[in-house]
Amino acid sequence: MESGVVIFMRRILIAIMAGLLVALVIRVRGRGGVPPQIGGWRKLKDDELRNWPVN
Amino acid sequence: MRVVLFGAGATGARIARILNSDERITSIRVTDSSAARRVEVASSLGLKATSSNSSDIGKATDLVVVATPMGSQIGLARKAIQAGTPVVTTTCETTEVQALLSIREEAQFQNVPLIVSAGFMPGLTCLLARLGADKLSYVDEIHVAKFGTGGPACARQHHKALSSSAIDWRDGRWVRRIGGSGRELCWFPEPVGGLDCYRGGLPDALLLVPEFSGVCRVTARMAATRRDRFTAFLPMLRRPHPEGLVGAIRVEVRGWKGTERRVLMFGVQCCPAEVTAIVAASTALHILDADNEVEAGARGLAGIRSHRRLLLSIVGRGVWLECFEGA
Repeated sequence: MESGVVIFMRRILIAIMAGLLVALVIRVRGRGGVPPQIGGWRKLKDDELRNWPVN
Repeated sequence: MRVVLFGAGATGARIARILNSDERITSIRVTDSSAARRVEVASSLGLKATSSNSSDIGKATDLVVVATPMGSQIGLARKAIQAGTPVVTTTCETTEVQALLSIREEAQFQNVPLIVSAGFMPGLTCLLARLGADKLSYVDEIHVAKFGTGGPACARQHHKALSSSAIDWRDGRWVRRIGGSGRELCWFPEPVGGLDCYRGGLPDALLLVPEFSGVCRVTARMAATRRDRFTAFLPMLRRPHPEGLVGAIRVEVRGWKGTERRVLMFGVQCCPAEVTAIVAASTALHILDADNEVEAGARGLAGIRSHRRLLLSIVGRGVWLECFEGA
């Protein structure tokens, strides 16, 4: 016969592992947006604004 | 030319200074509910300026600029239109923007332009959205975000907006959203950087949608902290600061260039009250310049045909535009 404490601990472990599994699936398969990895803000020059293309 | 300026707060005082420095302006009447403030601003401008507490427009007035607290601008704008005078407003309150846009026919009948929300956001954001659209064949999404506030009236409106319902344009219809929802990490020009932004009572979509036919999604967000969101439903717990010194806006325009999908991002980092004043004053001077032929009717800055010239005059007054390059 297993004690109540062991059953409780086992349930916690199962819950944590299930959580990790879900997190892993979302991390690998998720399609969330990716923040900018390269590049940055650049000041627009006056000439660039003056010659801005118009469609 | 004679100008009547309503409001002598953080933004109004700066508008007065910019208008005063223009040679074409021969007289500025500064009107404010605070006698001390209007006298102080008028006396700092020199001989061109007078102060008054009257809300009468006067028949010889060439232009009216309204920079009073939100909610009080519609009455003044209506008075100016009835007097046949062009008006520039700076409001960023949703209901007031709706009310101002609703007097479009009245403005057209009087043959005067009514510029709705010539400020930081909306205002400069509308011009940047138009700039992005110029580079694309077709625009289907516009997303704007802001960080920071101008003077105390702007800070109060900012606080109120976070607990007000947001209006988004989605797939050809208006959608009401809960203020403070829809967290999105937005990257503003440095040194502001990345900040969590949320929906709020922001009128940008109301001004952008009519000017971009075929646009599918228009959203507006504002940067807020956890404390801002937690206290948004309460009265302001402390007096707003005299002026928010750091601010930024970010405009994202998505669309197509031929068969290629393009995303353009523009930003400005600056002092919000200063930029609002530059945008409002530049718009006022732009209207007074007969060459620009600003059309009669009520519209935001994205609807001005000579928008590029207006943007160049804003840049010429020291506002740095930035664009994001990267992936």
